[in-house]
Amino acid sequence: MGVLSWLALIATLTVAAGFLRLCIMLTAPRPAKPSGRREAIETCSFAVFLGSGGHTSEALILVSALNFDRYVPRTYIISEGDTLSMQKAVELESAKAAEAPNPRYTFVVIPRARRVHQSLLTTPFTAALSLIAAVWHFTVGPLMARPPVPEVLLLNGPGTCFVLCVAAYMNKFLGLKSPKLIYIESFARVRQLSLSGKLLRPLVDRFVVQWPELVKDKRRDECRGWLV
Amino acid sequence: MHVFVTVGSTRFDALVQQVLSEPVLDVLYRRGYRTLDVQCGNSDFDASLLRRDADDHWQRAGDLETSIWRFKPSLKEDYERADLIISHAGSGTIIDVLRLKKPLIVIPNPTLLDNHQAELSDALAGLGHLRSSTVADLPQAIEGLDTSTLVPFPQFDGSRFRELLDEEMGYYDHSRETGARH
Repeated sequence: MGVLSWLALIATLTVAAGFLRLCIMLTAPRPAKPSGRREAIETCSFAVFLGSGGHTSEALILVSALNFDRYVPRTYIISEGDTLSMQKAVELESAKAAEAPNPRYTFVVIPRARRVHQSLLTTPFTAALSLIAAVWHFTVGPLMARPPVPEVLLLNGPGTCFVLCVAAYMNKFLGLKSPKLIYIESFARVRQLSLSGKLLRPLVDRFVVQWPELVKDKRRDECRGWLV
Repeated sequence: MHVFVTVGSTRFDALVQQVLSEPVLDVLYRRGYRTLDVQCGNSDFDASLLRRDADDHWQRAGDLETSIWRFKPSLKEDYERADLIISHAGSGTIIDVLRLKKPLIVIPNPTLLDNHQAELSDALAGLGHLRSSTVADLPQAIEGLDTSTLVPFPQFDGSRFRELLDEEMGYYDHSRETGARH
């Protein structure tokens, strides 16, 4: 066999192994028990994507419910140019400073996967750029002793959050540390999942909806009533 | 009594135009409202009968004293001042207004392509927390509104999400052993 045939064989095997790994990850039942038990005083690093507008409002309402002494440090991931979301997060942090006096939080800015009204033709390029930034933050950075990967990532849409999810998933695929992925569907979705909900549903560790009609598979979807 | 109309950051020409029409102004007056504020966002409307007294600010003289303007950084004070709020179907507006326990009539914008917003207002109207109407039926909706029959909206309960995340991350002390996956 020539060198080329060997290379082709290796490439095929690699692709097949990768595919198999992905299939196992997607079909394996999720762990019945979540992460290992933690003591009440232990901390947990936390990240949330603020998807602007209503997504940001709902995400920050959810974050406001958390114990800020426990979930530190906090990372707010925002889209490029979304100063309003940044401002709202700072407002929440200062309001919460009363109960957790040493706020430890940072912002990470990711290029938008797709701008409103952007043509579908150019979307793959901006989405790729967005993915590179997310992979940089979740995979490459932590490997180079930059800030470690957060232990949990909260997502609630729209588009760019899919990119973050894919980047986090890549870590899982490579066997690296990856955040627990929690998706909360918007309170506004009563009968139909949003596009980001549909995309993220098979990938996340917890898929939570706020209206019981949206629970299609009790092993995968959960509803605990209104969370916002 | 004061009524506040809001379209948020959207454009909703038909609603703004309808609110400024005689049938709506008449019914509001009859129901005891004396002042009306309209936050019109990016909407276009017929300003020929209005007095423009600043950039993006108009007044309308008459029995019902009316002010129209485009944006403000926060609408909280406007919600608090109002005895009735008429709004587009944005979920943020709906939650904010209902948490302030204000009577709310929601008009979903039929020109939005992905009109999932009507899902939320229909569901909440079904539970009695608000009234849902259309642009054309707005006068009847105001006429027929009996605020005493509206069902109070529950206050924010942060424990649900807090417990969900604590449980997922292994803090059992504050979590309940319930939920679909346990």
